[in-house]
Amino acid sequence: MKSAAINRLESLLQASKLDRTLARTDEPWPVVSTGVPKLDTALGGGWRVGEISELTGARSSGRTTLLMATLAAATARGEIVALVDALDRFDPGVAAAAGVDLDRVLWVRGATLTVERARPAMVEQSVLRAVRAFDLIIRAGGFGVVALDLAGVSARVVQLLPFTTWMRLAHANEGRQTVGVIVGDIAVGRSARGVSVHLRASTQWIGSSPQSRRFNGFNWVSDVLLRRS
Amino acid sequence: MFCCVVRDPSSPVVPGALEAVARACSPRVERQGDAGIAFDATGLARVIGPPPEIVREVGRVAAEQGLIVRVAIAGSITTAWLLAHARLGVTIVAAGGEAAALAPLPLGWLGALVDQAEGHRPKAEDLAGGRQAGSGVQGARRITRARNYRIAPGPAADSEVVPDALNLVPVSSSLRPSAFGLCPDLQDALAIFARWGLRTLGDLAGLRRADLHARLGPLGVRLHQAASGEDTAPLVPLEEPRRFVNRLDLEWPIEGLEPLSFVLARQCDVLSSALTRADRGAVGVTTRLRLVTRTEHVRTLQLPSPIRDPRTLRTLVLLDLESHPPPAAIDVVELELGVVPGLIVQGALLTRALPSPDDLATLTSRLCALMGDTRVGAPALVDSHDERRSTVEKFTGQGAMQQTEAKKLQASTPKPQASSHTPQSPRPDFVPCLRRYRIPLAVMVDVERGRPVSVRSTARGIPSGDIVNVAGPWRTSGDWWAAGGQPWDRDEWDIELVSGGCYRLVRDRATGRWEIEGEMD
Repeated sequence: MKSAAINRLESLLQASKLDRTLARTDEPWPVVSTGVPKLDTALGGGWRVGEISELTGARSSGRTTLLMATLAAATARGEIVALVDALDRFDPGVAAAAGVDLDRVLWVRGATLTVERARPAMVEQSVLRAVRAFDLIIRAGGFGVVALDLAGVSARVVQLLPFTTWMRLAHANEGRQTVGVIVGDIAVGRSARGVSVHLRASTQWIGSSPQSRRFNGFNWVSDVLLRRS
Repeated sequence: MFCCVVRDPSSPVVPGALEAVARACSPRVERQGDAGIAFDATGLARVIGPPPEIVREVGRVAAEQGLIVRVAIAGSITTAWLLAHARLGVTIVAAGGEAAALAPLPLGWLGALVDQAEGHRPKAEDLAGGRQAGSGVQGARRITRARNYRIAPGPAADSEVVPDALNLVPVSSSLRPSAFGLCPDLQDALAIFARWGLRTLGDLAGLRRADLHARLGPLGVRLHQAASGEDTAPLVPLEEPRRFVNRLDLEWPIEGLEPLSFVLARQCDVLSSALTRADRGAVGVTTRLRLVTRTEHVRTLQLPSPIRDPRTLRTLVLLDLESHPPPAAIDVVELELGVVPGLIVQGALLTRALPSPDDLATLTSRLCALMGDTRVGAPALVDSHDERRSTVEKFTGQGAMQQTEAKKLQASTPKPQASSHTPQSPRPDFVPCLRRYRIPLAVMVDVERGRPVSVRSTARGIPSGDIVNVAGPWRTSGDWWAAGGQPWDRDEWDIELVSGGCYRLVRDRATGRWEIEGEMD
């Protein structure tokens, strides 16, 4: 039995729209599948709806493969999705092969530049625009999954963004039926609720002879870094 | 007083020209098919002049439109319509003289009224075509002398082809008797009239209407009315196509988009109200800005779906102008909307709500303003052997909605059970994805026994090191058959470096150049 003081405090928090900090065990949080059953199990069902989650890892850790699986699952459910591609590295052919319905994808392409050789200011500008585009799409609503692909952007550039950026994005997505996913090398939005999944993967090669050798994908190991609710 | 204008069969077909001719003279216009139009000439004497002046004005406007027309003015639409078809050139009938003017016409011209009785009047081509399609001596008669005829006052009935009383040619071939139940009856009635010895409309008008009703019923009455030059239905004016334009002359020139947004908001509010009243939605917006440099800055936006919301309209126009700003201060702002009938959308109760077309249009416009026009849309594959090629198409969400419905329909359709003998090809759970570098990274590669063993680069940040795993090569080539194409011929390798990271390594066979095209992720 809650005391009157607790009830009053909760009502004040609800009035200020801060009631999400309250622990609620009676209502299961809505989730959508990541497209990877193993990860769904680890996350308790999948990505949390109405939150901004993170998918991080090093190069060739399978981040893009996992993102494509999420987009494919969303489009298979009949949802429309958006991908903000900060460095213009999305390949539609690969996505189609991964099962993504391209007609349901809003692709926002960042500047085409070689991040390894581009001037830092250009990369910063491209990242800033991508974050703004991500914000616009989140606020527009109606999308099942909105992804911001910052993979390949150096941590220094991402950390130049104001720390409140991620809080604002999380606040914008609050209460919406949209899953926000940020893909990057490092976790940047940990303070903004949601889930951070760090991927570590080893590569699978099949075939013993040089002629039959093939790259066959990744063996994933995922770490759920933060889960705040 | 009514005026009928009929396009001569020898005249070229100019869409909308006849209506323009009629509207140049009178606001009360009734369309009579594609080749004829009638307008109310009452009161035009004070504006244009007496009937000869009206006819001259019609001829002048028709000549401007490149038309050859026949014109008749009479006190009833029926009289004017019959005379415009029966006589070449111009026919003017004084008030009260309708029956006398129609009296000499053969009874076969009543066929021209068949459609009128059903609410449509026949085309001049139908009449001419009907004659051509006829058989025998009458079928061979053609209005060949009407060719190259331009409007000129004067009687021409004597030079006109005259159908017989029994030869109701338009009825038989052009006016689709099966479509109008009246036509066979009219044919029968004309045969009866012939047996009675009637040859002209005057003969028919001379009979008593009550006697005709007793013998032929309502059809007899209607034919008698027509022969007497009486109308059975009033002129129904055609509504003029409405333009949704709002123009604002500014007292002071404005610079920048922020002050312009207030002007646009005011204009969009007015236009939106007009759209709501007319039950229309805007599918296109043309913004004309007259600048202080006396030039005009024109932008046209095509909207993906009918939009009526003033805020959305203003936002779309503003975003477009942000991307393409006017080069100087603005004197006059004019918005013109292209409209279609309003769209009623029924949402589904049990399926996820997709963004409305308005919201999608606004969002894509904002994104285009932020990222560039060509950087936002739905990805699409190109029909090519070159897997690097792709394109961006317009993202409307409409296709997604339709596909959702199609998929639901497909899901509801029972699928045939797969045979146990059907071979099932194993498919990997997850296709490893390539992050494609649009600008490939040039590297140096050491090769041993035809296979890359290490990657080197002098630049920082470029992947380099010994190769621990390699697969390939996959040789691709294409476009060598196209004269203007960009042929390629290369070997592709999948490699894994000892420092970590899997990449797509490519060697151009023509130049021997090595590049990293993307990373597996």
